[in-house]
Amino acid sequence: MSVNLASARVWRGTPQAIVACAAVIGLALIAPGEGYYLNILMQAATYAIAVSGLVIVLGYCGQISIAQAAFFGIGAYGVAIGTADFGLGFFPAMLCGVGAAGLLGLILGLGSLRLGGHYLAMVTISFQQIMTLFATNWISFTHGPDGIRNIPRPTLWGLSFQNGHAFLALCFVSLVLVTWMVWRLKTGRLGRAMQAVRDNELAAGTCGINVFATKVIAFGMSAVVGGVGGALFAGGFQYISPDQFTFAESIVLLTMALLGGAQSPFGSLVGTMLLVMLPEWLRFLKQVYLAVYGAAVILIMVFLPDGLWGLMLDRVIRRAKPIVGTVAPLPLLSEHGVESDEIVLKVEGLAKHFGGVKALDGVDLAVRRGSVHALIGPNGSGKSTFINVVTGLYKPTSGRVIFMGQDLTQAAPYVRNRAGLARTYQNIRVFRGMTVLENVMVGAERPGNDIAENPAAVVERALAALDFVGLRGDAHKQVGTLSYGHQRYVEIARGLAASPQTLLLDEPAAGLNMTEKHELGELLRRLKGHGMTILIIDHDMNLVEQVADHITVLNFGRRIADGLPNEVLAHPDVIAAYLGEPRNEAA
Amino acid sequence: MLITRRTALLGTALAAATPLRFAHAEDTIKIGGIAPITGPAAEAGKFMQYGANMALDAINAKGGVLGKKMEWVVEDDATTNPGAVLGFSRLVARGDCVAYTSSIRSTQVNAVAPDVLKLARPVMFGGTDPSLTHAGNPWLFRTRPNDSFSARVIADFGATTLGKKKWVIVHSTDAFGSNGMKALVESLDKLGIKPVLVQGYTNQQTDFTPVVLAVKEAQPDVIGSYFTFENDLGIFARQLRQLGVTVPWVGSPSIINTTSMKLAGPTLWGTYGVADYNQDSSPEARAYFDEYVKRYKVNPDNQSTWLYDALMILAKAMNDAKSTEPQAIRAAILAIKGYKGTEGTYTFDENGDGLRGYNVVRNEKGQVVFDKHIDFAS
Amino acid sequence: MATFLQLLFTGLGIGAIYALVALGFVLLIRAANVVNFAQGQFAMLGAYFLVIGINVLELPYPVAIVMSVVLMAAFGVIFAGATYWPLRHRGGLPVIISTIGASIFLENTVLVLYGPSPEVLPNLFDSPGIQVGPVFMDSQYLAILVSAVLLVGLQYLIFEKTLLGKKLQATSQDKEMASLLGIPVAGMILFTFAYSSMLGGIAGMLVAPVLFVSVGMGGLIALKAFAANIIGGYGSIPGAILGGLSLGVAETMGASYISVPYKDAFAFAMLLMFLMVRPQGLFGEKISEKA
Repeated sequence: MSVNLASARVWRGTPQAIVACAAVIGLALIAPGEGYYLNILMQAATYAIAVSGLVIVLGYCGQISIAQAAFFGIGAYGVAIGTADFGLGFFPAMLCGVGAAGLLGLILGLGSLRLGGHYLAMVTISFQQIMTLFATNWISFTHGPDGIRNIPRPTLWGLSFQNGHAFLALCFVSLVLVTWMVWRLKTGRLGRAMQAVRDNELAAGTCGINVFATKVIAFGMSAVVGGVGGALFAGGFQYISPDQFTFAESIVLLTMALLGGAQSPFGSLVGTMLLVMLPEWLRFLKQVYLAVYGAAVILIMVFLPDGLWGLMLDRVIRRAKPIVGTVAPLPLLSEHGVESDEIVLKVEGLAKHFGGVKALDGVDLAVRRGSVHALIGPNGSGKSTFINVVTGLYKPTSGRVIFMGQDLTQAAPYVRNRAGLARTYQNIRVFRGMTVLENVMVGAERPGNDIAENPAAVVERALAALDFVGLRGDAHKQVGTLSYGHQRYVEIARGLAASPQTLLLDEPAAGLNMTEKHELGELLRRLKGHGMTILIIDHDMNLVEQVADHITVLNFGRRIADGLPNEVLAHPDVIAAYLGEPRNEAA
Repeated sequence: MLITRRTALLGTALAAATPLRFAHAEDTIKIGGIAPITGPAAEAGKFMQYGANMALDAINAKGGVLGKKMEWVVEDDATTNPGAVLGFSRLVARGDCVAYTSSIRSTQVNAVAPDVLKLARPVMFGGTDPSLTHAGNPWLFRTRPNDSFSARVIADFGATTLGKKKWVIVHSTDAFGSNGMKALVESLDKLGIKPVLVQGYTNQQTDFTPVVLAVKEAQPDVIGSYFTFENDLGIFARQLRQLGVTVPWVGSPSIINTTSMKLAGPTLWGTYGVADYNQDSSPEARAYFDEYVKRYKVNPDNQSTWLYDALMILAKAMNDAKSTEPQAIRAAILAIKGYKGTEGTYTFDENGDGLRGYNVVRNEKGQVVFDKHIDFAS
Repeated sequence: MATFLQLLFTGLGIGAIYALVALGFVLLIRAANVVNFAQGQFAMLGAYFLVIGINVLELPYPVAIVMSVVLMAAFGVIFAGATYWPLRHRGGLPVIISTIGASIFLENTVLVLYGPSPEVLPNLFDSPGIQVGPVFMDSQYLAILVSAVLLVGLQYLIFEKTLLGKKLQATSQDKEMASLLGIPVAGMILFTFAYSSMLGGIAGMLVAPVLFVSVGMGGLIALKAFAANIIGGYGSIPGAILGGLSLGVAETMGASYISVPYKDAFAFAMLLMFLMVRPQGLFGEKISEKA
């Protein structure tokens, strides 16, 4: 009996979306067709669309963007200039505007190559300011501060949207569709990749995700969505001017996203409604209302940490139910391990200098297929640096890394993962915003994996990996709620789900208690039994002695011993490195 | 008291359910108006309220409109276009306003124009963008002379009266400044003059040194300007004098505003402004000035006078037409000939423009001194 | 050449204003990892306190300044308590939003209390300025430049040479450890907010005679100051100064030699250039994550 996908919460919501569309069309027909309420609803709807764009880039991918109003404006100007100056129809003009927004969004995403956090925020702010300046001053193209008026509403297949009800319906339906797509994105492969980048960029890279490309795509998608909102806004209000798309508006959009809860398009809907309505409700306070608005923003931030949506969700959260059903076991389990002399991972003369500090000073190492190879050494000997260079997080100063015959010395981390190298981290790097299952799915769906293109098979493979480490029952739990040791197992499962050739474990026993260490040892032996090649770094000599076939010892970035366990552990240099030179006892 | 989550949620739900509250409809004639209560032009909003109060007192003292008192209902436009649109539509949603007043900022009038057209009720405004009355919208009426006239007056006064031929034009790059600049260039062209420098700047600058240096380098013998914000005017004026430029300067009305003169102090002494309102241009203007100063302890300027005139004209039109029906009001406004307001004598043309001339005034050591009035037939 | 020198002076003057505001930014970033969107409003508040002191209470200029500075220090503590303290464990973004709310609140509260009319303040010195060759040096700009230098010096002294400064640095680098060492972390952070508030207020007071006092005066300055921070090196004190000065000069030069209306674009283009080519700014250090 195969697993029911619905229980794995990968459903698509198509029927719900259709029903929602019908519902909002009905809503639009009974809503006011003109005047104040129409304006408010149109503003809320179009802004909500733009804000769901922020959900993608900020909520899912964790990149701060304070330029959403610029993209909103580009979409709006696309429609306005296209219809007024180039005689295009509404939808072709909209396509131009949205396309331009998307292109610029991708370019802005390129700025994320070396920057994150505050820096990226500043890049987006600069972009926003420059856009506003162009809109105001490039009068020949944008009509400058006068703005563009008499923007027509569209006609499609004989159906005119001139009427307020009709256009509102168009806005609402667009909102439903955008919300649905953004929501679906979250539970899809790209969405998981984005969330992985948000939660732990380094780990995302070593799980096969092209981090940079993911960020760029996030920016692009967010800009496109923003452009759509702006295009509809232009058609709705039929007059646009540069001061509607300024930095201040970007801040408003950002605030809407955060107040509602940036993780969810429903949250952004709530946030948008609130912040569109709030100034209007407070109008009766006349002069004081903006001050009250500012205070309200602070209060909401303080008392509603997950945004309003998070607040509502708290009440509604379902209990995590275990997923029943059998799945095909991990492919590796059908193999039987035989140690061979084939060298899987070869490292030659690897050096890594940080300024004057030589963390690695010419290390050679060869890991044979099917063996458990341990790398040990006192603190500061370069073990973690070694594994970081091998997995691509640092570029080596000199030397080579050859994996499965491929020279991967300069390759990006995700390339190495796709070549078959998986790793875990000393300071556990799971994706805290996702469930256990989703974490392992990220591993399973890495490009190049045999089942990566098949969503159902991805779920099954992830469950198989969880079966192997014994955590199937925790599949739906938020990974952060698990114990330290179990989170480590999730990391291992995530690595295994990617069908690696070699597993690199960085201090897997750190933080585990005696029982857990014993279980870990068992796990490693089982893996070895199925032919998995393992490179393990650890301090726990018991564990190392139990599982290792081969040990390499580092000290001060250099290799001081390499060979069979009993030889290496008796080696005088090794003992000296750990325990120091023997003292001359007083007679 | 700790706000629990439940309370917060309940509060939000209650707030969402609160309908818009409208004032009980007393039996008054209501004119709806948007004004900048907040935002960068908040001071203008204050002055507008003063002007409205004075108009309402004058109108209601004489028996009001059709026997009822007139009232001005105001909504904040936050000095932004979206704010104007929302504020205006909120006024319309009340359903009890017979006519409206909008903004002195042309960009905001542009923003609400589509709604005005749909609304089909008279809307008075003070923005000077000439195209506002030439866009085919029969419901917009302007109670200030538009910028095609201000430009002609600046050009005429500077070139003909002062006899200066080397012109520099400094203008804001916003709608107002750009249109003013274009009109001025056109007017000078008709007099056979081409400016030696046209220098734009973006609003809300912190420093005008580059502009001043450019002006200085062009070695003009007269400066013409269209400044939107008084802050910018003040900084520019100070730096202009610091860097030693003393040529005559004829500016758009902001140069004569109470605020500009306060901010710039002595650095604006000796400059000329075209002012749609000046207290010495007519007995009506003088009367307004004296009353305003008495009540509010500050000099009035065009931020309040256009609205005063607008409300007075609306009252007159409704009383003339003996009706509050939109078409009737419209016809009555267009029929107004020779009405003496504070800004001048109104004769409305079929586009909705009531005034076609400006006063030229001089800043005489901090006092505004009336120089002459220049009118154009069309 | 005369033009160039004049532009250079004014550019430095404006740059010094950015630098002062940036200095206040940097402090909060270093001590509490807070990006304070209301820093511009600090400047505005300081200016308004000065206006009350001079125009309303008619105190002598120096006395009014002292009063203002003291009030700003008190305000800084209140601000910390309202916007930072309740959110201190929640990471950067909630605090940023909270400071945005604070900036809106402050601007509009002052608008309600004081009214929208801009105010004029006299220069610190009676003389309007001195003419040095072809360059006119506005006395207030000179005051700003000198004050910036003095304040930077003072900051350097405090942070590098006093025990208090060492404690502040320790708190900013590792709060837990600092508290384990007996450093009153909460006190240190409040002190930093107070000091940053004073700096912001002083910047406002210095710039008020030049830009006039209005509720909106803080906005664009703060944004440029933050850009200056990044150009100079995020978190670097000398960087804040140099970043501010170079930004002021670049935009003034750009305005004059290329295009005035696009002046603000230069500031941001410069920022972008730095971010693309040298993100750590002029003085910043690269910080990489330990894998």
